[in-house]
Amino acid sequence: MKRRALGPCGTPWARGRVGRGREYRREPGAAEASVASGASGPGNGAGGGGGAWGSTEDPSKCSPRFWEELFLMKVNLEYLEGKLESLDGEELMKIKDNINCLFQHCIQALGEEHPIRVVNALQTLCALIRGVHQKNKSTSGFDIINMLMGFDKAELCMKNLMESLDSLLCAEGSESLKSLCLKLLLCLVTVTDNISQNTILEYVMINSIFEAILQILSHPPSRREHGYDAVVLLALLVNYRKYESVNPYIVKLSIVDDEATLNGMGLVIAQALSEYNRQYKDKEEEHQSGFFSALTNMVGSMFIADAHEKISVQTNEAILLALYEAVHLNRNFITVLAQSHPEMGLVTTPVSPAPTAPATPLGTTPPSSDVISSVELPLDADVQTSNLLITFLKYSSIVMQDTKDEHRLHSGKLCLIILTCIAEDQYANAFLHDDNMNFRVNLHRMPMRHRKKAADKNLPCRPLVCAVLDLMVEFIVTHMMKEFPMDLYVRCIQVVHKLLCYQKKCRVRLHYTWRELWSALINLLKFLMSNETVLLAKHNIFTLALMIVNLFNMFITYGDTFLPTPSSYDELYYEIIRMHQSFDNLYSMVLRLSTNAGQWKEAASKVTHALVNIRAIINHFNPKIESYAAVNHISQLSEEQVLEVVRANYDTLTLKLQDGLDQYERYSEQHKEAAFFKELVRSISTNVRRNLAFHTLSQEVLLKEFSTIS
Amino acid sequence: MGDTVVAPAPLKPASESTPGPPGNNGGSLLSVITEGVGELSVIDPEVAQKACQEVLQKVKLSHGGVASSDRGTPLELVNGDGVDGEIRCLDDPPTGIREEDDETEATVASGTAKGARRRRQNNSAKQSWLLRLFESKLFDISMAISYLYNSKEPGVQAYIGNRLFCFRNEDVDFYLPQLLNMYVHMDEDVGDAIKPYIVHRCRQSVDFSLQCALLLGAYSSDMHISTQRHSRGTKLRRLILSDELKPAHRKRELPSLSPAPDTGLSPSKRTHQRSKSDATASISLSSSLKRTASNPKVESEDEPVRLAPEREFIKSLMAIGKRLATLPTKEQKTQRLISELSLLNHKLPARVWLPTAGFDHHVVRVPHTQAVVLNSKDKAPYLIYVEVLECENFDTTSVPARIPENRIRSTRSVENLPECGISHEQRAGSFSTVPNYDNDDEAWSVDDIGELQVELPEMHTNSCDNISQFSVDSITSQESKEPVFIAAGDIRRRLSEQLAHTPTAFKRDPEDPSAVALKEPWQEKVRRIREGSPYGHLPNWRLLSVIVKCGDDLRQELLAFQVLKQLQSIWEQERVPLWIKPYKILVISADSGMIEPVVNAVSIHQVKKQSQLSLLDYFLQEHGSYTTEAFLSAQRNFVQSCAGYCLVCYLLQVKDRHNGNILLDAEGHIIHIDFGFILSSSPRNLGFETSAFKLTTEFVDVMGGLDGDMFNYYKMLMLQGLIAARKHMDKVVQIVEIMQQGCRRCSGASPATASGPVMTVAQVICSQLPCFHGSSTIRNLKERFHMSMTEEQLQLLVEQMVDGSMRSITTKLYDGFQYLTNGIM
Repeated sequence: MKRRALGPCGTPWARGRVGRGREYRREPGAAEASVASGASGPGNGAGGGGGAWGSTEDPSKCSPRFWEELFLMKVNLEYLEGKLESLDGEELMKIKDNINCLFQHCIQALGEEHPIRVVNALQTLCALIRGVHQKNKSTSGFDIINMLMGFDKAELCMKNLMESLDSLLCAEGSESLKSLCLKLLLCLVTVTDNISQNTILEYVMINSIFEAILQILSHPPSRREHGYDAVVLLALLVNYRKYESVNPYIVKLSIVDDEATLNGMGLVIAQALSEYNRQYKDKEEEHQSGFFSALTNMVGSMFIADAHEKISVQTNEAILLALYEAVHLNRNFITVLAQSHPEMGLVTTPVSPAPTAPATPLGTTPPSSDVISSVELPLDADVQTSNLLITFLKYSSIVMQDTKDEHRLHSGKLCLIILTCIAEDQYANAFLHDDNMNFRVNLHRMPMRHRKKAADKNLPCRPLVCAVLDLMVEFIVTHMMKEFPMDLYVRCIQVVHKLLCYQKKCRVRLHYTWRELWSALINLLKFLMSNETVLLAKHNIFTLALMIVNLFNMFITYGDTFLPTPSSYDELYYEIIRMHQSFDNLYSMVLRLSTNAGQWKEAASKVTHALVNIRAIINHFNPKIESYAAVNHISQLSEEQVLEVVRANYDTLTLKLQDGLDQYERYSEQHKEAAFFKELVRSISTNVRRNLAFHTLSQEVLLKEFSTIS
Repeated sequence: MGDTVVAPAPLKPASESTPGPPGNNGGSLLSVITEGVGELSVIDPEVAQKACQEVLQKVKLSHGGVASSDRGTPLELVNGDGVDGEIRCLDDPPTGIREEDDETEATVASGTAKGARRRRQNNSAKQSWLLRLFESKLFDISMAISYLYNSKEPGVQAYIGNRLFCFRNEDVDFYLPQLLNMYVHMDEDVGDAIKPYIVHRCRQSVDFSLQCALLLGAYSSDMHISTQRHSRGTKLRRLILSDELKPAHRKRELPSLSPAPDTGLSPSKRTHQRSKSDATASISLSSSLKRTASNPKVESEDEPVRLAPEREFIKSLMAIGKRLATLPTKEQKTQRLISELSLLNHKLPARVWLPTAGFDHHVVRVPHTQAVVLNSKDKAPYLIYVEVLECENFDTTSVPARIPENRIRSTRSVENLPECGISHEQRAGSFSTVPNYDNDDEAWSVDDIGELQVELPEMHTNSCDNISQFSVDSITSQESKEPVFIAAGDIRRRLSEQLAHTPTAFKRDPEDPSAVALKEPWQEKVRRIREGSPYGHLPNWRLLSVIVKCGDDLRQELLAFQVLKQLQSIWEQERVPLWIKPYKILVISADSGMIEPVVNAVSIHQVKKQSQLSLLDYFLQEHGSYTTEAFLSAQRNFVQSCAGYCLVCYLLQVKDRHNGNILLDAEGHIIHIDFGFILSSSPRNLGFETSAFKLTTEFVDVMGGLDGDMFNYYKMLMLQGLIAARKHMDKVVQIVEIMQQGCRRCSGASPATASGPVMTVAQVICSQLPCFHGSSTIRNLKERFHMSMTEEQLQLLVEQMVDGSMRSITTKLYDGFQYLTNGIM
């Protein structure tokens, strides 16, 4: 009789002759009917209407094998979630005990031998968690815990759950089972928009699954399957109440020193990023080869920019966040950045739009480290070696092209923050500046009206820091627009400054075309001044101006320690003299603002002081050049002639040594960036939740895998 | 070679039983006799006894009393077994022959022993004189090898085989290629005579085992698979590789546990009997070290694999070379190389070593970013630097624990702090204060950039004036309120000065990536790599470098190395100040190997291409003007090396001498590399390029012109060198001659001029090495020593050769010779 009651009352499980291995799909119509009946009659709720849900009676009482049989049946996730959603608060409270009971039994079933039970239990748990949350978005986390498990049993319950998940993840079991475990965890972590309000995670903190995640990352086969999910999960867990309490995941992540694990993590990130790069490139090529090329010839290059804006591939902030956390928290991870791996973008992998299916890594297996065994890399002549940093730089160059929508702005900002962390790290700097590690990095450059797309082929092979500088110059040049990304600009200049500080300290003489940087900086100053009124309304442009001027001061006073040749020092002077108008204008502007007692008085006067050397140079050399021109009767001096004057007149010029040019404030997330990261994590959570598809792990696949029912 | 401590004490007076455990019979003759009775029963003890009776008698009568002081100055011997071996040779040579024979060889041995007896009777008179020679102190390894090769008497061969034990290991090692080639290619008596020694040494040293195995493989590779002799070489090789020859009695010990005095001359019993508790203590110690999952290289301590890791190491290096060869551009090759090596790094440290090094060590890291691909048309030889930790004994020291890459950061600050002005002891002491790397707090407390100490070249810190100090450290004017002014001119001047002070570095050229790497002074490179290495703080850290060649036959290079080495020692012995630099060769197989690079040297081709200067101007640029001390000594070095290599080129007929094959080192020496074409072979085997040696006007210019004193000095050196070499011609010819042994392909070759027994044995003329092409290689070689000429005639000859070589370049006229340029600039 109970069995009968279960069926028509719309249990979320398929009704069937349990025990004989035959399962039937529920008729959708029947489901509708039962939901309706369950919802309509409150009196019925105790009896037939809610079925197992509404029923206060325990169906297991009369059938001792009820739960065993139950978990052999397929779960109807949609129904279960929908049902929970459809109930209002009070109704939900009524069936609380049933939910608790089901939840507990699900956890118990995780320990079952037969995987089909485990699968069903996992899916049921997902549905329960999601369903209850969706209903109770406003309610506090404690209520949700109560609803799912009951306060009294919650601790034990979650402990059991986490332990079961941990052992499932670490066991040699089925891959799809592990995948489902990770999905459940991701589901649990992302049910709330604000991860820090998800009180259940407190139990995940206490019962850590960190080790299981690491194990997945350190073993090549499991990393290939689940690396992406594991990394995202880790990134999210690290962000749980990161500013308020001691998060064990932060602590643990920061002290991981196992190379295989860290490399595994790096590989997962590199793969996801290069997959993005590849997709972007494909799209770009598509655009160019299509109607567009024909159009260009006719209409001209005016539309290039517009056309390219359309090329947007969904950015992947989750993986970027993972990269950030790894770089920021774990100093050992820095070495992974330089870890070589064959260029992923060139490996042919099926295009997978969902980021949840990372491509299989090829030849990236970290070698088993027992005895030396022959290292096997794919014997493909076309495969160019690359590393995570290069992939990241390429990714950044794409993301930074367009910062108009919020996602991309976030991504761009995060890229710059990561670069800031890298630029502060000594080891990272050491390999960025390593003269022996030369790479050809194809950064994406925004097509602009006044310049042609640089040919990729004849890029020289240079130390990686050149690529970083290129990227910064590229950013400076391409973002002078009305919606001025002030914050990004400040970060960008900071990155350059930090790199220069390293070069000065370590006396690295980088053979870089500094001229490009100088002229980009001067152009930026020009832009700031010409848009003074608009920008001043929103930003303090003087901090940026001060930073730019101080970069020049760094070159002027410490150039001897890091410039590659004496002539590059001459060129610096030449550039300053050539563009003296900009500096003159800046000076008069800051002078004006610092004399009248306004809002910007102090900020402007700082810039005034910083300009002292540049003004000295201009005032010293300009008359000399003019007189040279007059003496020699030349109206337009050539560059060589100006340089000659410069070289001849150094000795009579005195400069003032400024303080703290080579000092900088270290990056700190705690206060300044907290809001940004909260927002970022929120959007990532939403995104991950949306992408969590239980249906990707279709029942058929699982059934096939576990078809032998003993 | 550092095996002193554990070397089993060989023969003692018969009453004193050696404590050596069973299985080390390679070292202990006595134990062989007692143990091997069953096996050796086939051999008639009487035969052996008789074969050497005379020998024993004579020696005991004539030398017995003073034997030990008379001969070989045994006290000078470094090897522990040398002293005892001396005695053993005296006592019991014939039985010694059989000491290592196993069952398979035993039957064969009995046959040869009979033959020996027969012959012995005929030659007994001659033998006694021979014996006196053998026992005299003049009898050195070179003679031993010569008699081993030339003598047809199994007794003599057996005696010499036994006598090998008495020579210093290093001396015999030099002739290892000859010994093994004889073993592979000559008749069984020789092989039987050599084998015990080889086996004994293999037991002692894993490095020796490896070298033997590799050489045996390489020298056997030319033979027909079917030949029986082939199987003898490969059999021994298999035996060595099977790891059966490992010393079973050795217990592993940590070097730190054995105090230094233990390493004295006498092998102490304490080390032998090092109790298990010591070993287990070391095990528990190492296992208590924090090991990460990436480094689960906890060896099975009781059964360390001797050769397997090393062979895998070599195999992976070769595999990299093969893969690189498939890439089209240098740039791609370099990048690929770096990434492959970074993967290789994951498996280090391991129980592997570089056979080209002269000391025991473990490889701990390959600084992958420093590796470069060398210039080659279709193959991809590459140069790697290898960080090793020196150890007392490779076998007994445990593999160093892995230190993760990033740990370097905490070490740096520690190492750099007291860098200047402290004595070596102090510095050594400071190493011990290096924090324990497993202590994470220690590593964490270091603030990267804040602690960032820059090691400036001393020149800067000392010579910089006050103002330049400001430029180094920005001062805070809170302390000094007055603003500090600096002159722009000073900044500019410092910039140009500092650039001028840095030694002329080469420009990076993607087509020639090795130029920059090779130009950097070795010391500078060592310092730089040490600074960047997580192992750099360890006091026993060393940097080695090696060129990995894949697809090239280095057997000829090895031959050339031996000849050069021999000439070097001859000239040293005769006090002729000629300078040559033999570089070590490791033959891995018939088509692969490793070369020890010459440090601080770049090819003349690279010099000229990079500097765009003539050689003389480059000398002036590098060393200073004509009258400076530096230039003069560089010039002298140039002349001495030039004369040395001219003689080498002449004697060995080294061909293919383009500027890419001639290096110039930082002191002005030239060094010839690539001996791919020597003796009878020349590029495309056309027999052109027949000038005696390469002497260009540029070279002469560096020497100060044709009329200069240095040029006369050059010619005089040549003459002296030739006279000295002539005096010891046999030593040189012998090396080449033995290596000629090879397949029987040209068995009908004509016996040449030289003395009887040599050529009767050497009917087998043709080894597959191209340098032995044709039948007259050895004859021609001997002729080039001009034994019959007077010194005046020789002087004339040198003049002629110099003249001819000069003219063959300058005027392109040949003096009875054809000359073909091969693309020299």
